Amino acid sequence: MAIITTAFALSAFSTSSPVVNVVQDDPRKKNIISDNSNNSNINDPSLGHHITTTSHALFDTTGDILDPTSQVTSGKRIAIDPMKYLRTFSYGRVSTNSAGDTSTTIREFTLIASDDKIMEVSPGVFYNVWTFNGTIPGPTIRATEGDLVRIHFVNNGSKPHSIHFHGIHSSEMDGVFDMVSPGGQFVYEFYAEPFGVFPYHCHMQPLEEHISHGLYGVYIVDPKNKPRPTADEMVMVMNGYDTDSDKENNFYTVNGIPYYYMHHPIQIEKGRLVRVYLVNMLEFDPINNFHLHANMYQLYRSGTSLTPDEYTDMVTMSQGERGILEFTYKYPGPYMFHAHKTEFAEKGWMGTFLVKDENRSMNESNSVKSITNTLQPLVGRGSD
Amino acid sequence: MEKGDGEEIEKIENRIDQQRNSDKKVAKNMLISISVAIIPLVVLIGMIAFLFGPGQSFLMIKSANPIPEITIERLEFQDGKIVAFIRNTGPSDVTIAQADINDRIQAAAVEPGKNLSRLSVAKVIIPFIWNPGEPYEVGITTSDGIRFHKSIDAAALAPSPDIKQASLFAVIGTYVGVIPVMIGLLWFPFIKRLSRSKYTFFLSLTAGLLVFLGLDALIEGNKIASENVAGVFNGQMLIAMVSIISFLALLYVSEYLVDRANAGNNVQHKIFSDPQLTKPSSLTSSPSLHAQQQRLKQLSKPTIIALMISIGIGLHNLGEGLAIGAAILLGKVALSTFLIVGFTLHNTTEGLAIVAPLARANNKATIGRLVILGIIAGSPAIVGAWIGGFFYSPIAAIIFLAIGAGAIFQVAFSILTWISNNNDSKNTDPKNEADSKERSLPKKKAWLDLSSIVGFVAGMIIMYMTSLLVAS
Repeated sequence: MAIITTAFALSAFSTSSPVVNVVQDDPRKKNIISDNSNNSNINDPSLGHHITTTSHALFDTTGDILDPTSQVTSGKRIAIDPMKYLRTFSYGRVSTNSAGDTSTTIREFTLIASDDKIMEVSPGVFYNVWTFNGTIPGPTIRATEGDLVRIHFVNNGSKPHSIHFHGIHSSEMDGVFDMVSPGGQFVYEFYAEPFGVFPYHCHMQPLEEHISHGLYGVYIVDPKNKPRPTADEMVMVMNGYDTDSDKENNFYTVNGIPYYYMHHPIQIEKGRLVRVYLVNMLEFDPINNFHLHANMYQLYRSGTSLTPDEYTDMVTMSQGERGILEFTYKYPGPYMFHAHKTEFAEKGWMGTFLVKDENRSMNESNSVKSITNTLQPLVGRGSD
Repeated sequence: MEKGDGEEIEKIENRIDQQRNSDKKVAKNMLISISVAIIPLVVLIGMIAFLFGPGQSFLMIKSANPIPEITIERLEFQDGKIVAFIRNTGPSDVTIAQADINDRIQAAAVEPGKNLSRLSVAKVIIPFIWNPGEPYEVGITTSDGIRFHKSIDAAALAPSPDIKQASLFAVIGTYVGVIPVMIGLLWFPFIKRLSRSKYTFFLSLTAGLLVFLGLDALIEGNKIASENVAGVFNGQMLIAMVSIISFLALLYVSEYLVDRANAGNNVQHKIFSDPQLTKPSSLTSSPSLHAQQQRLKQLSKPTIIALMISIGIGLHNLGEGLAIGAAILLGKVALSTFLIVGFTLHNTTEGLAIVAPLARANNKATIGRLVILGIIAGSPAIVGAWIGGFFYSPIAAIIFLAIGAGAIFQVAFSILTWISNNNDSKNTDPKNEADSKERSLPKKKAWLDLSSIVGFVAGMIIMYMTSLLVAS
């Protein structure tokens, strides 16, 4: 006997929910806790418990549960670990080239393309992924303005591939006219300029096919003279998967797995600056967007300026567009973020930030109890 | 005398010997034919064993990836949830990964489990607050990321199999099936008074009605087969096959009943000509036999045709009830008074089909018998509504419709042959003056004369016009 909950955790707080049930012995909860990665805090006594214990409908079944909104993937052939990807930045193998007065930092990376793997892209759904270094998205490459970036590219796939970096570089390093044959290699070399956030992706034709299968990643160039203030930094790639090849996305995600941050909330600290490097790599649909709940963010379009362009909670990006988002949460608790193109949200592009206040965890626990209590009468009304 | 006896015995012995020998021969022949029949089967088994064994790699018939296929056979809208009944109709096992409503992913449960072996079924239950009357599409995604979907025009609460719903279906079935047929039976006195040519017209009209109904059943079945039955079941072929089987089976039953009736009449005459059997003692000793003979005597050919028409129309009405019940279940129709009026008008003509041959039966048609025929023809609509409304399955539906179509065609066939036989065999019914006039006319195939052709066409047109009333 198992139980499925049909509403997302946070909708339980809406008073319009017809029925709110509190289930203390949800067996699924165990699964989530046992799958707990380093960051997941579902069992956090202060805030986590109502995420799995409240919803607007409960249903008992003797069969299997199909619920990507709360189920984790099997984890064996998962296309990426979104929690690990979130805050991992690859700075490369660093060396210095001194010539006279000037010394240049050289950052070397190896990117290996493959196109034969079948991996899990959504709970229970397996798809032929094309990857850089085995994940979707590929590793986040990070350098400082003026560094020499050297990419050792190996094509381990069965089709020709390339890497096309956005940014300023010479024609032969653009990865467009010279494809790397299966088994071939190429070294891309360019100076990191200008500062900002950029995508990189394969530029083999048909372009849409090569990108939508997963050959992309994020490339960040930090400003040299005036570094951005320290913050809790994370990278987010908005993408989709067309698993049935009908030129329409079946799943939408942020960081590769639909709904992942719904059952694995991203923990941040109250009052601490959060910086999100956001890139839209969605294919087929012309736009995508990012909406943050209960807060506003400073938006730096393309990340190429240190002056924000907008103070907002909504940014809409076309294919290949990107930006830097900076915000600080004033109040602790879980907060949702998702595409305000709600179709995408309801096909996987949603997540939560869990804002923690270490000093006030006891008080927080009480406030949650009071919320739950106020909702109790609804249980009676709904089950009439 | 003795010698003659000896010869006789010898002859008999010889004959017995011959018999034995020929018995042996027969047994031997039998053995040979059995073994000859088995040889190809043995070879076939060997071939299959080879293909499943090392032959497979030898022949390189292993395809890369069989494309999975699941069919959503039916959607049911229940209180606070939508249930999809699915079947694995593909060439390999499948695993169900996700479910969606209107292309938005939903949490769901799949019973008995998410792994479906070939042709097995499962129920996907999606808790969802749906709005009555709105269209919905339910999608099921397999582990390969392929999405299969089914739409419904207007969601309606699925009837739950309780007494209330069952009696509602019974009332609908009565309105749609029983009452119209009974009304049609009221034409009996009218048909009885008709002259031969007018009578032929009405018989042909009946045949026209029936052919229309038969074609209607085939078309309806084909529609279900193409929309709801997975290709693996070869629905269209199933319809064709079942209708032909139904046609032949009912043809056989009908002929058998006619033969028995004729034989019964002959026996009856014998019984009464035999003085021994007319003794009161023997009559009392076998009252049941007598009653049976009586009954058989009453079952003249027109009565049997009327009975067969009732059965055929009954099977048709079963299909009709099935369609109505299923339509309510699947939320395809908002059941309206108008629809019921349409079906009533449409089905009244079915009663006419029953009384037409009965009007020429030699013996009196009692009211009781008419009512029984009406119930045989009409009440299956109730049963159909129950089956369709509570246990709908598209495959069962096309089988019922095909049986009905075969039955209807058999009846139409019987009527047409009856018309031609009746007219050809120079009927000497003294009651009918028109007959004596017609006898002098040059003989021709009765079903080719004008009144029957006009009747046939009129029958189909009447059905078409009344069917417009129930067109949704």
